[in-house]
Amino acid sequence: MGSMKKMQALLMDSIFEVFEKMFFVFLEPCTGAMGHDLAVSIRFCGSTNGRIDAYLSESLAAFMAQNMLGLNPEEVTDNTREDCAREAVNMIAGNFLNKLDARQVFNLTLPVCEKKPGRFPQDNDAALCLMFDAEERSLGIRLSGEILER
Amino acid sequence: MSFNVLIVDDSGAMRAVIKKIVGLSGFRMDQCLEAGNGREAMALLADHWVDVIISDINMPEVNGLEFLEQLARNETLREIPVIMITTEGSEQMMQEAFARGAKGFVKKPFLPEEIKKILYQVIGVGDDGQYEEDAGSADGLDF
Repeated sequence: MGSMKKMQALLMDSIFEVFEKMFFVFLEPCTGAMGHDLAVSIRFCGSTNGRIDAYLSESLAAFMAQNMLGLNPEEVTDNTREDCAREAVNMIAGNFLNKLDARQVFNLTLPVCEKKPGRFPQDNDAALCLMFDAEERSLGIRLSGEILER
Repeated sequence: MSFNVLIVDDSGAMRAVIKKIVGLSGFRMDQCLEAGNGREAMALLADHWVDVIISDINMPEVNGLEFLEQLARNETLREIPVIMITTEGSEQMMQEAFARGAKGFVKKPFLPEEIKKILYQVIGVGDDGQYEEDAGSADGLDF
């Protein structure tokens, strides 16, 4: 398996594992233009450096919060939505890097979440971009940086 | 016998999930304290005794490894068992946490059963009636 394909497979595994185990959300890979409301980013450095960005619809973030915390829709606040989105990206990054090489220590920054409506950037030359759908709730994940040169 | 638990994580959502799991695990939990980082945790520990600490690593101000160091320097607090629950899953990070006094390690994402199992191992109680077996099912948590 090529390095990029292997990385894509590992990243997909991590995304599925985090969403299924922690949020009880079952994602389907998809293609096409996709809108988002929240953008979350985390950087990592170690034997290689990089960044993971996640782009989510607010409906997905709310669904994650409801499932993880057992809340009713009206109980989900902006803060809880953003907290869940940050934690998801933190877990995806840690899980992916551990799958990539468990012998290496990577330092992760604290994830940052912004309300940033827009379209998922699909600049595939500079990044590895993956898109998912969960019952019409969207998620885009973008891996970029030196790590792609491995 | 009931236990006081301290959960240290900068994510309020994660603290809520862990608290729920501990509550459903069958332990008689007396008090559950929460802190957003190691500094807040040390401040709480100045006034409260806890039987077990569950801590993240990647946190602002005082992270989980620094928190372990601070606990180890305190003759009383070093006796409290600490379970790390973290995304930082490298072998070296685990060794570092154990070297600084951690008694257990769970990688995020986790299943509720993993936390229940490590809690039983670390606190040292089992099927001897010291916890409420019927609070959580044997096969898994109703979560």
